[in-house]
Amino acid sequence: MSGEEGSEKRSRGQRFRDGLTPKRVGLYAVLFGMIGFYLAPLESGLMTSIKSTEAFASTTPFAPPGPEGATIEPWLLAWESLQESLFNLRGSLANSLFFALPATLLSATLGSLAAYGLTKVSWRGQILVFALLIAGVFIPYQAVLVPLRQFWSFIDIASMLTGVPVLEPRADLIELSITHTAYGIPICTVLFRAYYQTLDNDMLEAARIDGASITRIYRRIVLPLSVPMFAVTLIYQFTQIWNDLLFALVIVQSSEFFVVTQELNALQGALVQEYNIQMAGAFIAALPTLVVYIVFGKQFAEGVAGGGT
Amino acid sequence: MAELILDRITKYFDDDGERIVAVDDASIDIADGEFLVLVGPSGCGKSTTLRMIAGLETISEGEIRLDDRVINDQKPQQRDIAMVFQSYALYPHMTVRENMRFGLEESTDLADEEMNSRVEESATMMGIDDLLGRYPRELSGGQQQRVALGRAIVRDPAVFLMDEPLSNLDAKLRSSMRTELQRIQDELGVTTVYVTHDQTEAMTMGDRIAILDDGRLQQVATPLECYHRPKNQFVASFIGEPSMNFFDMRLEGGRLLNEDFDYSLSSRIAETLDTEELVLGIRPEDIELVDGAEGDHDYAAEVLVVEPMGNENSVHLRIGETRFIATVGGMRQIREGETAAVRLPEEAIHLFDRASGEALHNRRLEAQLVEPPV
Repeated sequence: MSGEEGSEKRSRGQRFRDGLTPKRVGLYAVLFGMIGFYLAPLESGLMTSIKSTEAFASTTPFAPPGPEGATIEPWLLAWESLQESLFNLRGSLANSLFFALPATLLSATLGSLAAYGLTKVSWRGQILVFALLIAGVFIPYQAVLVPLRQFWSFIDIASMLTGVPVLEPRADLIELSITHTAYGIPICTVLFRAYYQTLDNDMLEAARIDGASITRIYRRIVLPLSVPMFAVTLIYQFTQIWNDLLFALVIVQSSEFFVVTQELNALQGALVQEYNIQMAGAFIAALPTLVVYIVFGKQFAEGVAGGGT
Repeated sequence: MAELILDRITKYFDDDGERIVAVDDASIDIADGEFLVLVGPSGCGKSTTLRMIAGLETISEGEIRLDDRVINDQKPQQRDIAMVFQSYALYPHMTVRENMRFGLEESTDLADEEMNSRVEESATMMGIDDLLGRYPRELSGGQQQRVALGRAIVRDPAVFLMDEPLSNLDAKLRSSMRTELQRIQDELGVTTVYVTHDQTEAMTMGDRIAILDDGRLQQVATPLECYHRPKNQFVASFIGEPSMNFFDMRLEGGRLLNEDFDYSLSSRIAETLDTEELVLGIRPEDIELVDGAEGDHDYAAEVLVVEPMGNENSVHLRIGETRFIATVGGMRQIREGETAAVRLPEEAIHLFDRASGEALHNRRLEAQLVEPPV
């Protein structure tokens, strides 16, 4: 009896020492080792971005700068070349947002609609359409660069938008946005299709009997239940589109409308490699995707886990 | 209110060029306000029939008419029907109120207050008026069931279709919902087609029951008529628990023979038979245990197993190699391994054509039992 009471009253320190078996120590050592391994590049990048050029030359990459070598100047310089100033709508960050946001939203929405049509509505030839969409997932970017360039010289968005303010000068960005939308639809469709196949058919039939049409069922039943899957596709697509350089290089010609990945690329074009500015630029360029992850994180986890309803 | 007529409806599916018949030439007239139960083993076509009425399946041949209006080509939403699904099929992202309002919003242009008052009225009827603000995931199975029914009632349709609505409930709840459903249907007087595989539900709930097997309609009649005057051997075996006993017999000189026993038929019955290969049927509760095997239809049988149910005992018996079941009163003392004297009274027997399964003779009855309902 008294022994049991004693064990309840044992201090945290005692319990900690009791749990300290060799196996546990080993496990934690491995875990911390892995954390260090994964975070090392990030940490090195961050440290590099806050060092002066001299400090970078004199210290190892992952070591923090000394008091005299620390500076935020690389961040300011990087920001300036990516965006010039905070509310300037002509910088590369703004350009990237201009094409990436619509492309992300459109590819997810169209993918969802296509998946709904392919799973919950029956019509002739849908297997063929789905097979084409699956094939679309596997076409590498590199394979379509030349036809893509030819396509956009054939279809001239700029002349269609002649005289339209804001949009006309950004015709290249619109082309880029459309390209990414088209390229993103197949994977979004496949993701949504897998999700819609798990939706209860009885429920959709109940809605039909309740008087709802196919479009009303989508809007009032399927769409609200798709929120977790939208989180998955929005995060995935935004990251893909935001980080893409290849299509931008092929489509965006005028340096005034360079997107952030192009501008980042240009940062290393100078004669002297300024690693600290490049690193700061990389962090700034990655910030929006980080924000998206944080905002949609919870739904993302739900969507990946396949739940949601 | 409405009269629903299924006129020779047939449904076939194409399976790689092979035609699979799910429902074969079924005709049923369902009167205004009638509660018709479609019953049969799984895969018999009863759900397909219901889905054709709902408009969720196309009709391959035949016509479905609702008050003389052919509804074959009408979309589900135009048919003025409501359906209750086995899985309840509630909309998980909507509250109970929104679930019940959904049909009104989609199919009528009622004012907001009118919709709300109708939802509340139906909710009160189903006893779920205190759950209106909850989501389906916060409800028990029985409550979800009530919401599903309420969602159908609120639409005030011409026809209710119910696809095994009680089979996900536990046994106790199921029997109380059975009574309640009947009460509600009675109160509303809405024509109802109810699908089930459970013959107890069929017997207790239906004004009439339609028994399907392998896509073919076997019999449409009142529960008691199906029970006492089955049209064929399938109906006789499907309705009733434990099932009717069947013995393969040969008719020879006014007697029914098989390897283990023979059974003398009165000439009144024997004269009506024009085939020799027969099946003798008798329900377990019609078999009597007597003190000694003295009469013409008395036999000595070995007691194999006794299943006590409290109110009655199911006794598994054997004459030679022929096995059968009798149900006797629960107070009756009977032990396994004993020899018992059993009587198969002639007025209780059924005779079926062994080849076609058709009933040739049904038991004698007090006539009023099988009068069709008024």
